[in-house]
Amino acid sequence: MMWFLLKRLLWFVPTLFIVSLLAFGLSKMAPGDPVEAYYSSASSLQGGTRIDLETQEALYAETARKLDLHLPPFYVQLRSAAYPDTLYRMLHRERRRAVRRLIAQYGNWPAIQEYYRKAKGQYLKSDQLPDSLRAVLLPQWRRLLQADSPGQIRSRLRKMKNSLPPGAAEDIQSGLQGVAAAWQVVADNPKPQLLYVPRLSWLGWNNQYHRWISGFLRGDFGVSLVDGRPVQNKIWDALKWTLTLNLAALFLAFGLSIPLGVFSARFRGYKRDRLLSLVLLFFYALPSFWVATLCLVFFTSPEYGMDWFPTLGPSSFRELGDHFFGRLLRLAWHLTLPIFCLTYGALALITRQLRGSMVEALRQDFIRTARAKGLPEARVLWHHAFRNALFPLITLLANVLPALLAGSVVIEFIFNIYGMGTLTVQSIFAKDWPVVYAVLVITALLTVLGIFLADLLYAWADPRVKYTSP
Amino acid sequence: MIGLSRYRQPTGERLRSPGVLFWRRFKTNQAALWSLRFLALLALIALLSDFLANDKPLYARYEGHTYFPVLLEYGEKLGLASWPEGLTADRWRTLEYDRVLWPPIPYAANTLDNANMNYRSPFGAQRVPSWRYRHWLGTDKIGRDVAAGMIAGARIALLVGFIAMSIAASLGIFLGLIAGYYGDRGFQRSRAWLLVVVLSLPLALFWMVVAIRGAWQQTFGDFYLLMGASLLVGLLAVAWLLYQALSLWPFWRKKIILPLDTLVMRLIEIFQSIPTLLLLLGTVAVLSRPSVYYVMIIIGLLSWPTLARFVRAEVLKIRRLNYVEAARALGYSDRRVLWRHVLPNALTPVFIALAFGFAGAVLLEAFLSFLGIGVAAEQVTWGQLLQMSRNSFSAWWLAIFPGLAIFSTVLAFNLLGEGLSNALDPER
Repeated sequence: MMWFLLKRLLWFVPTLFIVSLLAFGLSKMAPGDPVEAYYSSASSLQGGTRIDLETQEALYAETARKLDLHLPPFYVQLRSAAYPDTLYRMLHRERRRAVRRLIAQYGNWPAIQEYYRKAKGQYLKSDQLPDSLRAVLLPQWRRLLQADSPGQIRSRLRKMKNSLPPGAAEDIQSGLQGVAAAWQVVADNPKPQLLYVPRLSWLGWNNQYHRWISGFLRGDFGVSLVDGRPVQNKIWDALKWTLTLNLAALFLAFGLSIPLGVFSARFRGYKRDRLLSLVLLFFYALPSFWVATLCLVFFTSPEYGMDWFPTLGPSSFRELGDHFFGRLLRLAWHLTLPIFCLTYGALALITRQLRGSMVEALRQDFIRTARAKGLPEARVLWHHAFRNALFPLITLLANVLPALLAGSVVIEFIFNIYGMGTLTVQSIFAKDWPVVYAVLVITALLTVLGIFLADLLYAWADPRVKYTSP
Repeated sequence: MIGLSRYRQPTGERLRSPGVLFWRRFKTNQAALWSLRFLALLALIALLSDFLANDKPLYARYEGHTYFPVLLEYGEKLGLASWPEGLTADRWRTLEYDRVLWPPIPYAANTLDNANMNYRSPFGAQRVPSWRYRHWLGTDKIGRDVAAGMIAGARIALLVGFIAMSIAASLGIFLGLIAGYYGDRGFQRSRAWLLVVVLSLPLALFWMVVAIRGAWQQTFGDFYLLMGASLLVGLLAVAWLLYQALSLWPFWRKKIILPLDTLVMRLIEIFQSIPTLLLLLGTVAVLSRPSVYYVMIIIGLLSWPTLARFVRAEVLKIRRLNYVEAARALGYSDRRVLWRHVLPNALTPVFIALAFGFAGAVLLEAFLSFLGIGVAAEQVTWGQLLQMSRNSFSAWWLAIFPGLAIFSTVLAFNLLGEGLSNALDPER
């Protein structure tokens, strides 16, 4: 038994590893420059003073370092021999993307490197120019550094050449010509064949994934790009609401569905059973976000004369008041509709399953024996049949938990309750990826725990289950 | 020949094939039957949506010429035809025709009716020239017709279900089939085979990625494709040669058992313990250009495990049956037994799982477009229509109709699935 559970726990490790890889990979692919997001959220507090380009670049590098972006992304890397191993050291995300695309087309990294170095030098230099010229050239250079196709690069260079005033300084002209020449070298000596040589390289333990996952294991999920708060604090605040909602819904669903399921199995084939089954089927198919929207539209606005519940969710537990009962009442006022919307679907699912297994159990010989002994019907139902019908309920508990968590994403979003779901959706809109993918991994963890819990309960509910390998 | 009549059943009824019996049992289930009819109607609406709701006439006589603008639009999209001189796509709505036949709903899902902006109620006053142009289900904030949106949404919803389920079915059936058929001991290959596959598969994938990526970037597109193709052919040849050469040594000829069943089941377990919805949100959010087609593909890639489970369980049963044993005893290859004998008989439970999966996919897509994540903003879907009701509580028609459509579609698929499984296994 212990051995089985231990083995089961061990099997969760690859699952969580794959989820973490997925989450990390997606967060790297996600659009938006994390450095700029983080930097703008941090610097918006200080007020905008004009800083020169060198300092800007230095600040960018510093912020990137703070977010661990100066490290290689992963332990190993499989890519073409045309790419340098150290491309990750180019901190600027958009420029790195542009260079990577250039390599993917031309394959001659040394030439591209030369071109890029020259263009960047000119870009930094153009900051020192007099204002009128600077205003023309600086944005052009900046865009050139992010240009990733030959057509774009050529047209940018041409545009810059044309926009130079006739009496422009010598070194600007020569600088521009130097970059154009370097680009010509890139374009004239392509080595696309290099791209077909694969290379596997080891990038060391000190990488972004390693840092991220070991931070995760310590309970440090990084910082939010939007407001610089630690992700774990944000998630913890949100988790309180989600747990309140879901536990209430879970208790209600199980509390109601057990008597309903037993009742419906007892009267199997009667009119009331058929009616109940039909109603439950409708409940089961009713999309909760539709019901929630209907509730929101009809019961929280004065539009239809049924303004019974608040439109906005409660913002914090503290705001609910000091007195315990007042607090509870206000909480109930806020959460009645969301809990209803979460409950009815689970209720339908659990009742249908329980009815099925009860019907199965009531067919057994020992039930006939019990009835023949003259036991009261209630005792037959609850003591003899129900205990044997518990099994699928336990599996359901493992299934219902993640389903509820997922379902509460949209319910929270609709009713403006600041739980995990709202947090996820808002973070996606705000491109706050550390939060999004931390939530993904945590939910996977909770799901896995739910499955494990179900295993434990199985063994508890049915003494016949002995987890020994056959 | 004389004894043939003995094969009739005692009641005089002829022996029926399992398919006919299945259909008979299915027909007794009224709910499932009506669901099937409803879904057929929905599919018809989805197929004909351009002829049902369009801002171009079906037939028009204009300045002495006869046009079929809706058909013309198909031709134009396929590159077979072009709009007549001076009559571009957006002009058809405003012309004065000699004779004209409009579709039942003379608006397309994206047509902006500027006279009826800001949520016109279906029952309220609408500024339309005649009842023919009435917005029967109201309009939204920017004056789009909700009925036309519902019809466009039906097409998207069914397309999502169809594409997602095709992907899920092909993955799930394949994996379930090999897991169930070979089990943990049935799949044996020599060490040489394993080595060659392990070496060449990643390389082939790598080259494919390089070639496709390079071909996209146009500078040397042809070179990349040509190089990629020739490298792949070369790889195939080298791999085959290597395999033949290695097979000369007895060491490399030794067989290794691959526990396919365990591998597939682990994969299923891993997939099922990932929270689908959050993974979907996280994946879709990454796309730089949101499109409902990506959503379809991702839903498909995430929903194969249920199907694989169904197929595996069925194949486990089937492979012990006499006719499979017989086929194997006749010396047929594994592939032939799998495709010709096992698969056709393992498909019935797949239909049940597909019906439920369809419902799930429709729901997921509605959910995503409700949140406005991963689906392009200009795409009209049921979920997106429903979402709009949150901005204006007075527009009850935006809350009722799209939701009703989602609900009835999901319910119909669920009832259908239930009916199928009851017809398959009447004992339950």
